[in-house]
Amino acid sequence: MITIKNLKKSFRTEEVETLALNNVNLTVEEGEFAAIMGPSGCGKSTLLNIIGMLDNPTEGSYNFAGHEVAGLKESQRTQLRKGNLGFVFQSFNLIDELTVYENVELPLIYLKMSKAERKQKVREVLERMKIAHREKHFPQQLSGGQQQRVAISRAVVTNPKLILADEPTGNLDSKNGIEVMNLLTELNQEGATIVMVTHSDRDSHYAHRVINLFDGQIVTESKNRAVGAAL
Amino acid sequence: MFTTHLKIAWRNLRKNALFSLINIFGLSIGLAITLLLFLFISHELSYNSMYPKKDRIHRILIQTNSEFDNQTWATAPPVMASALTKEVTNVESAARLYKHNFGKSASIRANEKNFTENMFYWVDHALLDIFDINMVKGNSFNALTRPNTVILSESAAKKYFADQDPIGQILLVDNSKRLEVTGVYQDHPKNSTLDAEIMASSNGAWFYERTSWGNVSFETYCLLKEHVSLQSTEIQMAQMLDQNVAKEGQWYSLSLQPLDKIHLYSASYHNSYASYVGDIGEVRNLGFLAILILLIACINYMNLTTAKSQKRAKEVGVSKAMGAQSKSLFSRFYIETGLVTGISVVLGVLLAMLLLPAFNALTDQNLSLQLMANGTFIGVILGVWLLTTVLSGIYPSVYLSRFLPKEVLSPSQKQDQGNILVRKGLVVLQFAASVILIVGVLVIYKQTQYIQNKELGFSPENVMAISIRGLKDGQNKNALAQEFRRIPDVKAVSFAQGYPGLDVSGYVLQKDGTENERGLNIQMNTADSEIAEVLQLKFLSGRSLPKNKSAKDTLVEVVLNKKALDYLGFTAEEAIGKNANIFYQQEARIVGIVDDFNFASLHEPIGAYAFHNNTNEGKSFVLVRLNTTNLAQTVSHLKSSFSKIAPNLDFSYSFLDQNLAQLYQREKRAAKVSIIGSVLAITVACLGLFGLAAFTVEQRRKEIGVRKVLGASVMGITHMLSKEFVKLVLVAMVLAFPLAYWIMSNWLEGFAYRINIGWIVFVISGAIALIIALLTVSVQSINAALTNPAKSIRTE
Repeated sequence: MITIKNLKKSFRTEEVETLALNNVNLTVEEGEFAAIMGPSGCGKSTLLNIIGMLDNPTEGSYNFAGHEVAGLKESQRTQLRKGNLGFVFQSFNLIDELTVYENVELPLIYLKMSKAERKQKVREVLERMKIAHREKHFPQQLSGGQQQRVAISRAVVTNPKLILADEPTGNLDSKNGIEVMNLLTELNQEGATIVMVTHSDRDSHYAHRVINLFDGQIVTESKNRAVGAAL
Repeated sequence: MFTTHLKIAWRNLRKNALFSLINIFGLSIGLAITLLLFLFISHELSYNSMYPKKDRIHRILIQTNSEFDNQTWATAPPVMASALTKEVTNVESAARLYKHNFGKSASIRANEKNFTENMFYWVDHALLDIFDINMVKGNSFNALTRPNTVILSESAAKKYFADQDPIGQILLVDNSKRLEVTGVYQDHPKNSTLDAEIMASSNGAWFYERTSWGNVSFETYCLLKEHVSLQSTEIQMAQMLDQNVAKEGQWYSLSLQPLDKIHLYSASYHNSYASYVGDIGEVRNLGFLAILILLIACINYMNLTTAKSQKRAKEVGVSKAMGAQSKSLFSRFYIETGLVTGISVVLGVLLAMLLLPAFNALTDQNLSLQLMANGTFIGVILGVWLLTTVLSGIYPSVYLSRFLPKEVLSPSQKQDQGNILVRKGLVVLQFAASVILIVGVLVIYKQTQYIQNKELGFSPENVMAISIRGLKDGQNKNALAQEFRRIPDVKAVSFAQGYPGLDVSGYVLQKDGTENERGLNIQMNTADSEIAEVLQLKFLSGRSLPKNKSAKDTLVEVVLNKKALDYLGFTAEEAIGKNANIFYQQEARIVGIVDDFNFASLHEPIGAYAFHNNTNEGKSFVLVRLNTTNLAQTVSHLKSSFSKIAPNLDFSYSFLDQNLAQLYQREKRAAKVSIIGSVLAITVACLGLFGLAAFTVEQRRKEIGVRKVLGASVMGITHMLSKEFVKLVLVAMVLAFPLAYWIMSNWLEGFAYRINIGWIVFVISGAIALIIALLTVSVQSINAALTNPAKSIRTE
């Protein structure tokens, strides 16, 4: 599903050029659950942003489901992203002014779905994430675990082919963290491809494969044979 | 501590260079225009303040008691000055001031050269003492006591005699009167109501010993004795009038106007000779405009500063965590404000200096930078600085220093709804002010257009008025007319006392048999038959004044306008051949009725007007209707013809349409100043809106990022952000429209002929405000919408 070849990303400030990603080669198959690990500043998030089409690489190629993404214009990337990708962030990134229901509904609005259809989909996913009873609440009124469940609902409501998760348990206690990881695993088992950035060894064990990044380069890749071994 | 604060403030300014620039720029513009307006206002208020006896000097005013159109005149009868000195014990001395030939220009021959002098006055010599006129040559005690003497201002002396000693020289006035120069006085200050370039002694003038209680043509100033009240003097004056004029003959009453009121409170008075009369209403309006602009600029500062609060909040939190108290932070933000306003004041003063020539040109003023260099003005600048600092600084200082460290240092900051409301309120206020200004500009513009294009009832275009005062009657005039008629571009020639736009003689028209009643004010203009052709008057009945009239024929003919006819109560046809009771004992036969025409400014409704051929008044002008494509050539033809007949007179001319336009100088100036003021105010308000848009974008960065990640388009985001501001502008409009309507309706009340403020004015104003706001905001919105969301959703 994802084929990345010789990918480079550099940031330029007035004085220095920083190479955030250096010659990254990576393939993620459909249905796979991959975890990217590494110390702070190693380029994890940059890589995730490029995979998520929020950012363009400086060099190299990125093929997503048969489309070359590198070099696409912003509007083209937006087009390709819509409905295909779902994002889950460490800090949830829910919109404070919108209710739970409205937050989840948002991506469907951008897909220009009819109101009735949206209603059905949002209800479905909220039921499934066991958060439907709070659909009229605002994000501030929810616990961290509940907020992340809403965020995941929002990520999956469009039935995306790929879910990108950036430290999804980073702001959660262990009980809520485990719950979120179980949810992701479930989604993966139903067919979604997942790429997750994480600091947590525990979380990484949920993945099929762990990619270790250091100073912008992939240093090791290891396969977890027994998925969910930490449980 | 203070230097640390100053250091932080300065570095902050530099770090946020764009914001600081916008801030300082906005404030500087606001301050510059405020300073210029203040300069103008203080100049207007300073009129006549330089005279040592200013508290005791008063001008006589006359209130007419006629049946319609009561008026206040700034002139009095010729006997007034001597009667006051003799019969009113409160009065120490009094003096008349009479502008040559009832306010017209004089032709002067001096040193073998011809000049036209517009500021030629005949005065009683007591005037020099009342106003303490400073003499450069000669002395004020006796310079004007002898008959046929004259004193010149320094500039006039230079103009007429260059480097020669003017004392003892002769001025030939209107080719008839020879006056000897006996003194030179310091030019009247620019801010004086006295504007005479030449002051001739009344001794020897035609009116010198007139004892008439009519013929109200003399501006009369009196000096009251020390410690007497205006009220008691006015009572004495009423008694004086009773003693001299029988009750039924009193068609006016008297009052006094203190010197310090003369400049600003006489705009509606008639017959004042001063060439420039101020208007307290205009001074108030400009003061209001200045305050409005300064307020908008201060609001800007508040908006822009609090817009950056998110960035500053962390700094406040850290400072507080380290032990700083609210009080010290409060003073710190004030120091920052003081720094910004200080820089702005300096720039504002420089900008004001730079703009002064343009401002002078715009307002027909001659304000100088020297006015800025005195202590009061520096005091005012410091005051404005302080005021701006206090005003602009209060909200940001209170708001920012109140932040609690626990809130601002925790990762999930909440928006403070109350403060957003305040900020929105401020923007609404700014835009409401801008909308009022836009409506004002449009209405003033429409009214000015209306005045320019209104059908006046006669045709002032292509009519030239040439001054002929001093031209001998009979032979000379006929010769001149013949010369003129020979020029092919000349269509009609008429000799007349005056023309529409210029005051002629005021009389009272009475119905037959009601001589003791008050009657109707009527303007009487001595003319001849061809006046109808020159002005293209429209006759309702009868004909123009007779062409040829023998010298023995003493019957006076008059052509009345419709207003006068309506008062008499005849139909146009009935009136012909009837007598018009105007000249007391003398009969005046009505020979024609013309339709009403606007002979004065459109501020006033049309009054009664008549052309007549009574020889008791002189004709000062020859009016010439031209039909020409080459104006310069025609004028030079006219000039050479004129010089052939009258070699000792200066050829001085004007065009009727231009003279009429002069009547609206004040409106034109108001229009120009308000347009410039409004443009600046709106610019400054836009800077504020720009700031608020930046603030909103900053507040909603994360949301914008999330929405983009979820698939929102650039258009969608821009639309979403702009919508908020459109709402604010709409609220501003709702607030501004009724107020603007009220203000401008009041302004229009000053015109007898005026436009209706139609709804279209509001539609246009609204559209302008909306477009300006949208353009300003969309810069920020589009920018925000284009930002890479990866940047804004990152929280580490």
